[in-house]
Amino acid sequence: MIARRKEVNQIFQKDVTPFVTQYCVECHADRPKAGLNLRVAVKKPGDPAFTRKWLECIANVRAGDMPPEEADQPSEDERRRFLEALGQIKYLSARDPGPFVIRRLTKAEYGNTLRDFLGVEPGIARELPEEVSGAGYLNSLSPMQTEQYLGIANLALQKMPAAVQRRLLGPPQADVRSIAQKLARIAYRRPPTEDEVDVLVKVFDLGRASNLDRNAALRLMLKAVLISPQFLFITPSVEVPAGEKIAPLDDFQLASRLSYLLWSTLPDAELSGLADQGRLREPDMLKAQTLRLLADKRSRALFDGFGAQWLGLDRLASKTFDTEKFPQMTPAVRAAMYDEARLFFEGVVRDNLSLTTFISADYSFLNDTLAVFYGLEKASLGTSMRKVQLNNPNRGGILGMPGILAVTSFPTRTSAVKRGVWVLEQVLGEQVPPAPPNIPALEKQDAQKVGHLTLRQRTELHRTNAVCANCHRILDPIGFGLENFDAIGRWRDRDESGGAIDAAGELPGGGRFASPAELKGLIASRRDDLARNLAEKFLAYAIGRQLDGYDFIVVDQMLNTLAVEGYKMQTLILETVTSYPFLNRRVQD
Amino acid sequence: MSSSLISRRTCLRGISAALGLPLLDTMGWAEPVKSRQAYKPPVRLGFMYMPHGVIMDEFWPAAPDSFLKNPPAALESLRPMLSQCLLMKGISGVPIKPFGSAPHALELSTWLTATLPNAAKRSEIHIAISADQIFANYYGALTALPSLELATMPQTHKENQEGLNEGYYSHCSFRSPTQAMPAEINPRNVLNRLFGKTDAGGSAAAADPLDRSMLDLVIGGARDLRRRLPHGDQQKLDEYLDSVRSVERRIAAIEQRQKDAALEKAGIAPARRAGSDTPPIEIKIPEGDKRSEYMQVMCDLTVLAFQSDTTRVSTYIGSTPNGVSYPELGFSDTHHGPTHHNNQPDKVRKVAAITKFNIDQFAYMVKKMDSLHEGDGTLLDNCIMMWGSGLEDGNKHTRENLPFILAGRGGGALKTGRFINQVKGNQGDLLTTLLTCAGVPLDRPIGIATRTIREMMA
Repeated sequence: MIARRKEVNQIFQKDVTPFVTQYCVECHADRPKAGLNLRVAVKKPGDPAFTRKWLECIANVRAGDMPPEEADQPSEDERRRFLEALGQIKYLSARDPGPFVIRRLTKAEYGNTLRDFLGVEPGIARELPEEVSGAGYLNSLSPMQTEQYLGIANLALQKMPAAVQRRLLGPPQADVRSIAQKLARIAYRRPPTEDEVDVLVKVFDLGRASNLDRNAALRLMLKAVLISPQFLFITPSVEVPAGEKIAPLDDFQLASRLSYLLWSTLPDAELSGLADQGRLREPDMLKAQTLRLLADKRSRALFDGFGAQWLGLDRLASKTFDTEKFPQMTPAVRAAMYDEARLFFEGVVRDNLSLTTFISADYSFLNDTLAVFYGLEKASLGTSMRKVQLNNPNRGGILGMPGILAVTSFPTRTSAVKRGVWVLEQVLGEQVPPAPPNIPALEKQDAQKVGHLTLRQRTELHRTNAVCANCHRILDPIGFGLENFDAIGRWRDRDESGGAIDAAGELPGGGRFASPAELKGLIASRRDDLARNLAEKFLAYAIGRQLDGYDFIVVDQMLNTLAVEGYKMQTLILETVTSYPFLNRRVQD
Repeated sequence: MSSSLISRRTCLRGISAALGLPLLDTMGWAEPVKSRQAYKPPVRLGFMYMPHGVIMDEFWPAAPDSFLKNPPAALESLRPMLSQCLLMKGISGVPIKPFGSAPHALELSTWLTATLPNAAKRSEIHIAISADQIFANYYGALTALPSLELATMPQTHKENQEGLNEGYYSHCSFRSPTQAMPAEINPRNVLNRLFGKTDAGGSAAAADPLDRSMLDLVIGGARDLRRRLPHGDQQKLDEYLDSVRSVERRIAAIEQRQKDAALEKAGIAPARRAGSDTPPIEIKIPEGDKRSEYMQVMCDLTVLAFQSDTTRVSTYIGSTPNGVSYPELGFSDTHHGPTHHNNQPDKVRKVAAITKFNIDQFAYMVKKMDSLHEGDGTLLDNCIMMWGSGLEDGNKHTRENLPFILAGRGGGALKTGRFINQVKGNQGDLLTTLLTCAGVPLDRPIGIATRTIREMMA
């Protein structure tokens, strides 16, 4: 590792520092454009603070956006060596599990947790504000949310089945302290401290002093559990000794992390028992438990939480479609599209298939409603979804799924750019630089001049602008390769202008295709890119933050194992939950 | 149509001390009554938002001297109120470089912060405390709720612009630089939360004095937990503690209100209430999904919250940049589409109609405030209500002259009935001036501000 670091440092000094000095610092230094001060960054190549910046540099230099046209241009060789050297800087990062802050349960996790704790419907949480993804947001808590937590706690106490109540608050002779202990162990997902039990007993005493009978006072105590930060947040059970910078997750945090990752709910009795015995962190045990959790139907949460977000299908239910053009997009159809992807994803996980199946599968899951989109209306599949073998090579896999084709379209028409960006970023894991500001969109082309052109021809016209051309050269061909699918994923041979669809193109880095089927084949053959992308996205989801320098070394290690074991989906999950950043936390900055 | 009548007058202050009721010291309610001098009602501050800018020709008045006689078309519904309105042209928004391709992600989140997100932490929420929350920090402890956040649509827009956290799209209110305030979209929850009604449905909690004592114990326990955690975690727990304390305070406020109502029933009049004050307005929660009715009930709730002094600052995100459509206007286009109108008449007409619709709802709210007596004048006299957008021209995403309307004199601090042309100032200057007029002594200007705008003051 140390030798590797020295070598990378030398490459950096040779291929990056002079490049930056010659082509970049004129703008990106003391009065940094785009907030990018490269004069500082080149001095500390391994500093995690610059990881993201370097990734943006790679994207912009690769796309030819930087250095800008009017500036001196590096030779192709300089450019290539710069990009290769930057690709290595992760090896300069010190071993570090990354920042870690206690986290509040998401709305879905909170609902599921109440279900498993109190036997109530998870929909009881539906009034909580909806959440968007993103590190900062999920953690915050407003007074209104806390009001709602209190309201939902009241409701849950009313709706709790009698049997659950007897189990949790009984038996009638039981010592109140031991009941408090039991409730807190489940709800706090770790053994409570003596002080924490004291607080709950005091709440019981408060209830009794206010003339509540024993049962009502116990319910008040349970309400206190439900509004406690130890329930709403996942908190550590042991204090980290002062001065420690990095600590392993304690057994109970680990059990929660695993359970919320795969089930979006609290650990069950078996997982908690293993945490109590201190055995969960044994690698074989951790793997066995992961497979057990994956086999349970609660692992649907993995798709609802991760899969849907990865594929962009979490947007499908609320996405706007032009109701006159696409009256088909009813809630039932959208639900079927979502379920198609979910069943497909769950199959890849359950049957431990290769990651390339996501692209190259020759089957899908359909019902009568959805079969229409595939031109298979005669198949009479019934209303529930079932696995269907597909003979059309243009279909099958995520690139041919109506739901995904719909979320990557505009409300009224397809978007080659959106689909191109989606394939590059979500499937192949490349960074696409954002569009430069003040670029007129297609809609602003003079309607009379372009009315007779197909979308492809109009887009090519737009690309005659030099600023736009760099990126569109990469994005558009991929999107146009999928242009045979309309804005809600139905097959077509002509677009709205009446012109025939030309689905031919070339992938960046080579590979020609003439149909969606050939595009699928080319993408499926880029197995390493697919695997790296999924590994990065899944690791980020599992640890709840963006990846930093050292994480990319972890991803490299995961890829080695994936290659050895045939790029299997379960390998990806097992490698993630046994990885260094999943098992450890940085305690202070 | 179901209706919930809010029980009697609620804004009763000072009396508890005189009658030997328990002092609620954390609430600042027990200000000593000084003789019988006239009660000066507090200043309240309200914000209402519409995204995507306006049709400039229909929004900006032709000239200052014709403003009152010939208001622009978009302001037609405010015609009877113009003497209490103030328009200013020349207030620029925050320049959004280096986030050039994120005009819509930033129009709302910069609106009350006058600040850009931290570029290095763009995937998180990292911006600045917003003007309404600065107000709440100063006056929030005096009322049952520190602030009120309302919205029409769920705040879940998902679109990646410039790698910015998606929360920036749909939030205007920030409790701290890292904490976006979620807004309530269910009017029933607001009614419950403001007035402890349980018969209106929804999940907000009723007021239970026992809960307050229980929360006290929970907070004590949370403090123990806090001591065991590293610094970053402590901050998260502080947000929790802050929010639980505000729940406690709301419960206490409702208890107090019930006691006061009982006293009033017994014929003991509150000391600080003018005889002419209007009783609390009635809230009718609409059953259907008509946008205008829905927005009006949210406006009514704001009016009631101000009238009863339940809070003194509110934000209402009337719509968000996420494809809202307006079926009531007879077309199905979502808002954003026609704003890129390129001067095509049909699209211009639609954007004008959407803008007028939103201003109509604002007019509904300020007219209602104007109809309610308070002290020597009306509720509106003691409010500063601002309607506005984060872009001027949605077609080109410009923000040189942010469109906004001020209504109410803020207790005499603002000079209304005017259109001031060619003001030199920015969004930060405007917010700084508004807070100053509302009685918040600022220790530093807001966001990009460089001055207070004296021209708008009385």
